[in-house]
Amino acid sequence: MFQPQATPFSFNAYGVGVGLSAPGAEYPAAFQPSSSVTDNGGPTLFRDPIFTTHYNQNPNPNPNNHRHNHNNHPRQRYTMADNGMNDMDAQEALAREFQPPLEGPLVGEKKSSAAITAEYARADPIYVAKTANLPQTYSHYRPILGDGNCGWRAAGFSYFETLLRTGDKAVLETEVARMTSLNNLLTVSGGFESWIFEDMVEVTTDLLRDLASLVQTSPQAASALLEERFNTPEISNTIVYHLRLLASSWLAGHRTTYQGYIEDVAGVDGYRKNVLEPVDNEIDHVGMVLLIDVLLKPIGFAVEIVYLDRSEGTSVNTHILQSEDANGVPTNPGGPMIYLLYRPSHYDILYKDSPPIPVQPLPQVIHTPSLQVQRVAFSQQQHSVQSTPMDFNLDLHGLLTMPGFGGGLPLQQSHHGFSTHYTSPIDRTYAASPISSMSPISPGASSATTPSSTTMASYSAQPMMNSSLSKPMVASHPAYTQNTTIPVHSHLPPHPSHPPALQTHSIPPSELPSPSSAGGSFRPSKYEWEAGWAHEGPVQFLTSTFKNSHYNTAHYNNPNFQPEEWSPDADDPLPTRKRSG
Amino acid sequence: MASSQKRITKELAEVLGNPPEGIAVNLVDEGNVHNWNIVMDGPEGSPYEGGKFKLLLVLPTDYPFKPPKISFKTRIWHPNVTFDEHGSMCIGILKPEAWKPSSKIMSVLTATQNLLAEPVPDDAVETSAAEKFKNDRPLFNREAREYTRKYAK
Repeated sequence: MFQPQATPFSFNAYGVGVGLSAPGAEYPAAFQPSSSVTDNGGPTLFRDPIFTTHYNQNPNPNPNNHRHNHNNHPRQRYTMADNGMNDMDAQEALAREFQPPLEGPLVGEKKSSAAITAEYARADPIYVAKTANLPQTYSHYRPILGDGNCGWRAAGFSYFETLLRTGDKAVLETEVARMTSLNNLLTVSGGFESWIFEDMVEVTTDLLRDLASLVQTSPQAASALLEERFNTPEISNTIVYHLRLLASSWLAGHRTTYQGYIEDVAGVDGYRKNVLEPVDNEIDHVGMVLLIDVLLKPIGFAVEIVYLDRSEGTSVNTHILQSEDANGVPTNPGGPMIYLLYRPSHYDILYKDSPPIPVQPLPQVIHTPSLQVQRVAFSQQQHSVQSTPMDFNLDLHGLLTMPGFGGGLPLQQSHHGFSTHYTSPIDRTYAASPISSMSPISPGASSATTPSSTTMASYSAQPMMNSSLSKPMVASHPAYTQNTTIPVHSHLPPHPSHPPALQTHSIPPSELPSPSSAGGSFRPSKYEWEAGWAHEGPVQFLTSTFKNSHYNTAHYNNPNFQPEEWSPDADDPLPTRKRSG
Repeated sequence: MASSQKRITKELAEVLGNPPEGIAVNLVDEGNVHNWNIVMDGPEGSPYEGGKFKLLLVLPTDYPFKPPKISFKTRIWHPNVTFDEHGSMCIGILKPEAWKPSSKIMSVLTATQNLLAEPVPDDAVETSAAEKFKNDRPLFNREAREYTRKYAK
């Protein structure tokens, strides 16, 4: 459908040039929120004050440690302390004491990132607001076990997974060669004897080879194999330790570059011995930078670290680490991007616009036409961005101005949290019926037959909130599936005044019994196009069930919001987890 | 073969091919590379001289990511070894937080040998032995020699 564009890749220090062909659909252009901090080349360190290089060697961080951390952050404020809520302290403690799970798979299943929102629904307002916004940008996440290796494992898994997503056997085979050549770094710079690491490297290269043999014939089997290997402790921990040795050796070989950032009193060598090389010792920020520099930057993979903390604001802070030239220009713009969610002392993996993942069939819910039109607008725009990663500036402009595309607009946040989820099923439906994804009514039709309905239904608590706007959708529109003449790959209208409904004008109105067609092709519904709609504020939820529900996202706009049903003693027990990282 | 066994097999070959002086190694069970019998000579000049001490080295399945465990099967009067049937030994290199997969079994064995020659009373597990070692060295040496004669002949 869209041709993969060969993307020139940076050459790494080992002279391994990787000619990745990066299919645009797999790698959405790096959409950088305005709060992003992008480094300017060379070794990357987090210069933002919230990214202190403080590392915590205590495997059992207690709340006091977190408090200590926060006090080091100039941008941290306990702004809610003065509103007189007696249990605010308890709420803050709940939010502060996030502890990743200690039991379960090393690498969890990919799931909707709305789960993160639900997890924080009872936390303090800063977390509530930030996690409420999270799913709009990052559709899915994958939890990583907090066993002290989470950062290493998250980055390592993402490395393999991103290689898989290239769909290119040659890329994986090139990585076998690069990993083998890095033995030189381990020996010469790291000072490790080869017998120490050769078994570990073999585990890594075996996995690369096995993935290479599967990636083109059976990509799903390759993904399953990757998850299986990373959940086999012996294999997973061996690969993780290989990564530790690589990072440690990279540091030893570039000590002048990094030594200013290392706080260990024993210097670079002490840091290697005390922080990087001990088993199960969690990664710190310098360690993550080292790992990215040795593992990901040389092959043009970028990493966006999404920082979820109590700093002010309604959206998470992000930091992009990528290979850049002397002028700070990314050397591989539009290249693969890995998203890591960082919460103090823990890493998980995030995804944007990922391919469809299996979802549980759930009872179908009725969607409002207006919402569906917005989703179509968003997904279509997103599709356009994905397929043309090199000229995303124009598309980005369109994105930011499209009423249906929130980015960070409160409009979208307060109404639904699933726009990004919707792109996956749309991508799937393109093949069979391209026009369907451009019609404002098609999601209603497809919801009866395609996985999109189950994706939507996973938000079963949310669509009901819009019931005051809704009219039941007509279940199917068989006619338009024939109209496949409209090019799939159309660029979106860059100007906001072009409604998505424009593209429905070729469909006879008789086939559009939904309110989308009520006002004619160009103004299908006041909920879609009235200028003031975006500023009307949150939908009022009139039923008592949702008025008080913590799923009612309108609460987030109220600075004094506090879930009234919550009581620290009587309600669910707080999660008691002992260890992070 | 699991990678831990590969690594252990290599290390076993190294120790068998070039055994440290005063240390003999064989497998408890030829089919299992995880359990090693070790016979260690008491270092010269120490109160353990002339004794032969049996030790058991157990390599966990996730070796080298977890440290080996080593214990004295022969009773020994030593500040860093419990004076009981367990013979548990405290040695810095084997502490989980200090263990590094780049450490070798060979270095564990020589470290154990050094510990016999030079106890570390500040890191003791057998506190009465440590007290005597620090405050009444001749008494400690006499007792250690007696126990060596009694148990390690």
